[in-house]
Amino acid sequence: MTKKEKFRRLLSENEFVFLDGGMGTMLQAKGLKTGELPELLNITSPDMIEEIHSEYISAGSMIVYSNTFGCNRFKLNGTGHSVGEIISAALKITKRSCGNKALAALDIGPTGKLLEPAGDLSFEEAYDVFKEQVLAASDADIAVIETMSDLYELKAALLAVKENSDLPVICTMTFEENMRTFTGCSVSSMAVTLEGLGADAIGVNCSLGPKELEPVISELSEWTDLPIVIKPNAGLPDPVTNKYGLGAEDFAESMIPLVKYGIKIIGGCCGTTPEFISKTIKKFSGMKYIPQKRSAQAAVCTPVKTVVIDQPRIIGERINPTGKKLFKEALRNNDTDYIIKQAMEQISAGADILDVNVGLPEIDEKEMMVRVVKALQSVTDLPLQLDSTRPDVLEAALKIYNGKPIVNSVNGEENSLNTILPLVKKYGAAVVGLTLDENGIPKTAEGRFAIAEKILDRALKLGIPRSDVFIDCLTLTASAEQEAVMETIKALHRVKTELGLKTVLGVSNISFGLPNRELVNSCFLQMALANGLDLPIINPNAALMTGAVRAYKLLTNIDKNSAEFIAAYSGSSFTASISSSAAAEKPKNDMPADDLPYAIENGLKAESAKLTRKLLETKDTMEIVDNMLIPALDKAGAEFEKGKLFLPQLIMAAGAAQASFEVIKEHLSRTGAGGVSKGKVVLATVKGDIHDIGKNIVKVLLENYGFEVIDLGKDVPPENILEAAVKNDVRLVGLSALMTTTLASMEETVKLLHQNNVNCKIVVGGAVLTPEYAEKIGADFYAKDAKETVDIAKRIYS
Amino acid sequence: MINLKKIDREEAFRYMGIKGEPPQAVISEAEYCEKLLLECISPKFHWITAGISDHSENGIFLSGHKLILKGNDIAGHLKGCSGVILLCATLGAGADKLIRKFQSEDMAKALIADSLASAAAEQVCDIAEDEIRRRFPDKFLTWRFSPGYGDFPLECQKDMLAALDASRRAGIFLTDGGLLTPTKSVTAVIGVSEEPVNRSRKGCSGCNIRDKCNFRKTGGHCND
Repeated sequence: MTKKEKFRRLLSENEFVFLDGGMGTMLQAKGLKTGELPELLNITSPDMIEEIHSEYISAGSMIVYSNTFGCNRFKLNGTGHSVGEIISAALKITKRSCGNKALAALDIGPTGKLLEPAGDLSFEEAYDVFKEQVLAASDADIAVIETMSDLYELKAALLAVKENSDLPVICTMTFEENMRTFTGCSVSSMAVTLEGLGADAIGVNCSLGPKELEPVISELSEWTDLPIVIKPNAGLPDPVTNKYGLGAEDFAESMIPLVKYGIKIIGGCCGTTPEFISKTIKKFSGMKYIPQKRSAQAAVCTPVKTVVIDQPRIIGERINPTGKKLFKEALRNNDTDYIIKQAMEQISAGADILDVNVGLPEIDEKEMMVRVVKALQSVTDLPLQLDSTRPDVLEAALKIYNGKPIVNSVNGEENSLNTILPLVKKYGAAVVGLTLDENGIPKTAEGRFAIAEKILDRALKLGIPRSDVFIDCLTLTASAEQEAVMETIKALHRVKTELGLKTVLGVSNISFGLPNRELVNSCFLQMALANGLDLPIINPNAALMTGAVRAYKLLTNIDKNSAEFIAAYSGSSFTASISSSAAAEKPKNDMPADDLPYAIENGLKAESAKLTRKLLETKDTMEIVDNMLIPALDKAGAEFEKGKLFLPQLIMAAGAAQASFEVIKEHLSRTGAGGVSKGKVVLATVKGDIHDIGKNIVKVLLENYGFEVIDLGKDVPPENILEAAVKNDVRLVGLSALMTTTLASMEETVKLLHQNNVNCKIVVGGAVLTPEYAEKIGADFYAKDAKETVDIAKRIYS
Repeated sequence: MINLKKIDREEAFRYMGIKGEPPQAVISEAEYCEKLLLECISPKFHWITAGISDHSENGIFLSGHKLILKGNDIAGHLKGCSGVILLCATLGAGADKLIRKFQSEDMAKALIADSLASAAAEQVCDIAEDEIRRRFPDKFLTWRFSPGYGDFPLECQKDMLAALDASRRAGIFLTDGGLLTPTKSVTAVIGVSEEPVNRSRKGCSGCNIRDKCNFRKTGGHCND
């Protein structure tokens, strides 16, 4: 019998499966201090651990967690013990205690570090940390990943278990009273993601008592068919007495009302003891397990946001280089900021999901895809549709995606079905199925329907749920194949009604080669929506397109009381969450174009862009930059130095100048003229420091003055700074550090640059720096603020 | 759950380096940023009490904890105290995410939101301190003393977070570089005494960042 079968048998032979209770609580009662590692006791006091296990088994626990919660390379660092050594010692004890009475679980807790982007641990390293734990646990009967508050970290752990063992796996997260984990993960996102990734049971542990967890369990039962796990605390702790609020009897009692939500696997966390487990088991005797009743629904998510496909949802198509010169340039320059801006625009215009395609022949698409997905998920909560023709690119993105994405796409070709669908299954994604195959796109609706059926059949065979297959019946260009338009619509209708699948369609292609494209697009979109389109892939910035979806939802009574529609079009804040503060801009009526300097000095972004456009009709770019933009910035800088302008105002002026520069850049790229670079500067926040706001302020100002900034980001190792300085042959490197604790790594970076005789000057800045300290560590310049950095850059490149 | 209804904008303006009446444009942006910030933060604090087992030259030892409070300044702060309260507070990862988002769109908003978030984190500490003071009506409590003040080393944050079980109780972590994440997080020590204690804050003379302090550089004071 495999370990999975053993676990399944345990579930099927018992109405309820009981876990153990608290380990830390028991150890602290035996004298363990906070800050000391409980895992070392597996070596120093194995008897103590065995005694605790045995007490739980006598109480009736059927699965016992090994004493390995924090047994990872970070926490063991400096103890002289390896992860492998402690885990195998711990499991030996657990196995010995369990005999054949209970299953021994490898217990995996969080790494104790926060993952990127909020923290400094990369997803890849987190995976390695967990992998090390899993590889040491071949003796275990089951793996348990618990007390997770970050879905991303949990995904790393779950992948590590699935890829490196044959253990069944239980995953539990820790929720607060606001129904979220500390990192903002919702119950629905947890369920949707973990079910996709192949967890064997999911649920909650720690944080609260059974009573407080009722709303979380109730919500969870709406989102999963998997066995539900609950391992709560003994109520809430009192900070003065350090005692938990619930006794064993009350704890057991308050578990009973949760049975109706489908709880199956039950135990206790902090503050619970063997008595809690035995009392609970007694209370449950004679009770029946009530599996949750629900119907599967199509949904994709990020940790914070679950998008249910129960109504038309807009997929934004703008993150795609096809036919976009500036986008291609951004990809070649690794300019993820540009791509993030494309995302932000689409979000504020009303996108629900963002398609991400970064394929360009001359770049490393895989590396770029990973970089862009990470950058996007650091600033937006919208689910992504990962779009590539290459399976290796899709797999890399699927691995590091935080939540449940859509894969775009598989099609009816054997090769595609054989390579893409297994990835979709492994990573628990939804997938777009294109109705084409080896013979191309069938002319008729029947032909496309047949391919849709084939794709569905193959997906189901692999265990991909029906609700995760979205079919694209393919839009052909009306000007070339007018008779094909209705075939697409017919096929879509049949897929929706006969197969019951969600449908997706790229709309804009319909009008290629025609005048008044937006009109054709929006009419076609309305036809498709009326025939069952769920996921239109459109440019959400096109008001008529997004409007058509909104109006459709209003007219079909999906948008109750027209609330969304009214919010979108009556000037209230519904969609304007990103850009509404532009309302604070009150420009003079019809400013003459010569007022660009005024607009910049006063930080009027939209006005600056508008005036620049106007000016470009009559003046050349350098004239605008040298005679208007730069002097306006100089003036704002001078007033800032005099204390007449404050930092936020200086940055607003910089923002307005940036808006003006973007117009100029666009103009230059359209007319094919060269750039305006005044020289390259490398900027970085040093290793160990994650505060990058100061560095980014410097970046904006430098760019305004025409410098090309190579921004290495935050927490940058000295070697990377050296490499960038050499590779780009820059004459100035700017380093920032905010905390005293990270000054050492700034010094190290300066030293490394000097040792390698890099021919550039170094300017340093940051809250805790002083001119004296800058000199001491060998920097060439100290800049007290962003303005002074610009002055230094100007001097060096003059 | 702590429900922060508004952020102390005056305090935030001070962090932005604004003296006197803030310009209208900054006020409008601050209103906007405050609204979004209040929507995305999830303030949280957690505190525990611990008895002082030994006041020695090697530091202050706490019963049941590995944590040792080191340095002359914390020793002075806790003079006459029989116990301490360890406190951690955070705005959660939402604030960092919003500031990050602003950084890709509009640096002015990022700066303003960053300052507002710092002010909000202090407010969360104030709420925590109110709760703590209510729980000890008969005791005398000192003000909040944080690692990094005076010669109280930042390095002790690791053991302090462990004592508080801060990652599990409040979602606060430490980076390799010794910084708290989410970044808008605070740890502090409050002394508990049977006798009256000096609750007034010290001036700059005892502070170890006095030469680098941004407030001092511009002639101000962090406790104005």
